[in-house]
Amino acid sequence: MEQVLQYSESELVLLLSQRNETAFSYLYDHYSGALYTSILTIVGDQEAAADTLQEVFIKIFRQIDSYDSSKGRLYTWMLNIARNAAIDTTRSKGFQKTKQNQELSENVYDLAGSSEIKSDDIGLRKLVHGLRPEWRVLVELSYFEGYTQDEIAKMLDIPLGTVKTRLRAALKELHKLIKE
Amino acid sequence: MNTQEYIQSGIIESYVLGMASSAEAAELEQLCLQYPEIKQALTNFELALEANALTNAVAPPPKLKNQIFTALQSEFIAEENSTVQNKEAFSTPLQEVPVIKMNQPSRFLAAASIVLLVISGGMNIYFYSKFKETTQQYQALVLEKNTLQANNQIMQTKSLDMYNSMQMMTDPNMQKVSMPGIPGKESNYATVFWDMKSKDVYILPNKLPQPASGKQYQLWAIVDGKPVDAGVLSDCAGLCKMKNIPAASMFAITLEKSGGSETPTLSEMYVAGKVG
Repeated sequence: MEQVLQYSESELVLLLSQRNETAFSYLYDHYSGALYTSILTIVGDQEAAADTLQEVFIKIFRQIDSYDSSKGRLYTWMLNIARNAAIDTTRSKGFQKTKQNQELSENVYDLAGSSEIKSDDIGLRKLVHGLRPEWRVLVELSYFEGYTQDEIAKMLDIPLGTVKTRLRAALKELHKLIKE
Repeated sequence: MNTQEYIQSGIIESYVLGMASSAEAAELEQLCLQYPEIKQALTNFELALEANALTNAVAPPPKLKNQIFTALQSEFIAEENSTVQNKEAFSTPLQEVPVIKMNQPSRFLAAASIVLLVISGGMNIYFYSKFKETTQQYQALVLEKNTLQANNQIMQTKSLDMYNSMQMMTDPNMQKVSMPGIPGKESNYATVFWDMKSKDVYILPNKLPQPASGKQYQLWAIVDGKPVDAGVLSDCAGLCKMKNIPAASMFAITLEKSGGSETPTLSEMYVAGKVG
């Protein structure tokens, strides 16, 4: 193990709330990879993911005072900011356009038998692939694409109750896969 | 509350991943305060998720850190100032410690911020106690509401029974047989309602003393001069349904052992009345 500056989570949060640069640098070094990965799994495109990550870290820095440690860990809070920002990115106009172009070229690659590295192979998305198909689609739509359970029920034409139950079951299974 | 079932429901995962509704989130936060095992399960999943994310992380482009720090440069607050000042204070002999000079506005600001902190602290305590008080009052109100609701339910049932009884009493097919108290028990009184169509017998115990424990009143129909058991009186609101009696010339009530007797104990007769 390398010897690096270590903070406890409460120290880190305290220093961050004092706008401390060293603490923020530590936060970045420690978590940028994890957050970047989670953003990349949602937006798919590395450049857009990097832009989103920048936006996310600026938000974390400016809004650290709204983090409430009694509700959960710092990473959970940051992860949620990152996920929301990533979903916002995928829904922005400019992004929709580039994505269409990209899908076209991806299809071409697929036809040509090329195996590009895709966001499917990393992070939580990789684990989600281990779920059975009827669960997977629900996690894809709700977690990675940010649709509400209501919207999903309408989209797939299955009862809301079924969406809820299957999603809960899927998340429990995902929990197991995460621990493995 | 079955905390294991709640923990196993998938709600914790849903909350941590930002997919719970605001109502579900509020409930989970509340339950975490009440049940340490739920809080523990929450933290465990958060830690597992975090560890997994850190292990499987893909590094962002290296230049990004610089970009972010440049963007935030003006917003960092240097910690050096305070630390250096402290160090100097420690290294200087006590008697020579200079009074740290503050100009008038910052003195005022410092004083004001302490005053505000104290006020804010006081207000926190005040509001917390208010909050606790209100929560208690709220719970008391909920309890009261439930009690009232239950009472209301009981009243409604009673009222419905009364209404049904009244409907039966005023039915033109009902024959009413008044049974006044027999000599020596004149203060007692009961009424038989006899449905001439179905021959069902109903009794209204208008005035009968509370039977001793192990005892029950029993209704008799006198058919061809012989007493026939017409059932025992149990607790019921309004009219109590008794046995079906096709024909009778008289009705009477005696006090019998609980469950009724085969033949009436004549010395324990309370009321009797002729049909017609």
